[in-house]
Amino acid sequence: MKRKPKIRYFVQSFFFVLIALIAVSHGLSETGGGIAFVPEASLHAVCPLGGVVSIDTLITGGSFVKKTHESSLVLMYIVFASALVLGPLFCGWICPFGSFQEALGRIGKRLFKKKFNRFIPYRFDRWLRYLRYLVLVWVLFMTARSGQLIFAGVDPYFALFQFWTGEVAIGGFIVLGATTILSLFVERPFCKYACPYGAVLGIFNLFRLVPLKRNSATCISCKKCSKVCPMNIEVDSAGTVRNHQCISCYQCTSGDGVCPVPSTLEFHTGGIKEVKDED
Amino acid sequence: MKINASTAALIFPVLFITGIGVTSFAGYWQTEGSKVPARYEEGEAAGEYNPADIRGSYTLADVENAFGIPATVLAQAFGMSGEENPGTIQIKSFEEIYGGLEEGEIGTDSMRWFVALYLDRPYTPEETTLLPRPAYGVLKNKGVLTLEELEALDEFFISLEFTGREPVDSGDEAEILEIKGKTLFSELLDAGITEDQIVEALGGIPMGPGSLSVRDYCSEEGIEFSGVKEKLQNFLNY
Repeated sequence: MKRKPKIRYFVQSFFFVLIALIAVSHGLSETGGGIAFVPEASLHAVCPLGGVVSIDTLITGGSFVKKTHESSLVLMYIVFASALVLGPLFCGWICPFGSFQEALGRIGKRLFKKKFNRFIPYRFDRWLRYLRYLVLVWVLFMTARSGQLIFAGVDPYFALFQFWTGEVAIGGFIVLGATTILSLFVERPFCKYACPYGAVLGIFNLFRLVPLKRNSATCISCKKCSKVCPMNIEVDSAGTVRNHQCISCYQCTSGDGVCPVPSTLEFHTGGIKEVKDED
Repeated sequence: MKINASTAALIFPVLFITGIGVTSFAGYWQTEGSKVPARYEEGEAAGEYNPADIRGSYTLADVENAFGIPATVLAQAFGMSGEENPGTIQIKSFEEIYGGLEEGEIGTDSMRWFVALYLDRPYTPEETTLLPRPAYGVLKNKGVLTLEELEALDEFFISLEFTGREPVDSGDEAEILEIKGKTLFSELLDAGITEDQIVEALGGIPMGPGSLSVRDYCSEEGIEFSGVKEKLQNFLNY
């Protein structure tokens, strides 16, 4: 029996708890309190998306978008560095909101069994996956135009970790509620269709240094990789997976995931023989 | 080169520790704003700090440091002259203090607008932005705007009566605009009377400390309280 990539769950849990503690600590710090050894930074300060949306104002005016700081830019560079090597590793391993959706998805799997994550027909779904790029363009344009952190008004991540503060816009609660419900039917719906940061990191999949590769010579076409993929990528028909939706979760791989054949589906720079490019 | 899940799990801890560590050592890692607003890039005010960049996280002391307006004046303009430490008041607390207004909002944008008016710098407030009535007196006293200009803005000033805010340490008579023996100078300022008007009512004598009652001050100065009271009441009643 193959080992599951449980180490990812530990990493996800760690960062989820860390962000929750930072959110609470920040709230307490405003009333003179705080949690020992936990940073008092705001959620905006520890979100790498803040770095992305500040690029325009930094270039044109030398200042950050309101509520974002130097830390956002540093985190953006760190995440980009990881994405250059392994694509959207941040989405699959770190992002607390991705972990939140994934946890809800486990309930959905129990409720709907094999039907879970297969509700939307492929002919619609393949195009809906590009919606997040429209969201990204909207966020960048509106942020550059207003100098305000526009996405905060609909940010479900902020709503999830700050719901008690009174600072969450109604749009944030609406998106959070919709995502919560949809997560019972679809794996990571916000990541797939709406996340602007996922859209940015998804681009790295096109040229990442260490892509997911399938050895067609040893592959037994059991399709377990495609069935387990949370992002519905047809891994079993690909040679090198360059799909913009891959989140490097390792659930499909040999050794760490469901692939039953050793050295057949792995993240590496080369070495697997007879690898064919994805159609 | 192959990267398995165990190796992948180490990537972020290594990158975070290295990246945050190096930038912290270099002094670049900042999770809070520097409290230094951006400057105008063009126009007559080019090079000056831009009130539009005042953030909700600023305290009145931060505004004082950046724009040179004393925190006590800012507190007076926003009906908080009775606060012991006005410099520690965070601007974003205005939205909570003055929340629920039907006519508009008193919040961070109100402070941006007030600072711009006080320093005569260009700024366009949001459509729903309002200013507390005491700010009118402060601006009038400052003399940057003409009376005509101030009157043109009159509809944007809202009485503290309608904000539900009660002046600090104002005692049992907090909501009464009628001047009584216990009325403090700070309450007069919060109610919208300017320092000049108070001095005028006192017959040219400088105003007493904010925490002192008008009647006690009149007794100290040998002035008839009833006459002063009448003049001040007239100012309050317009």
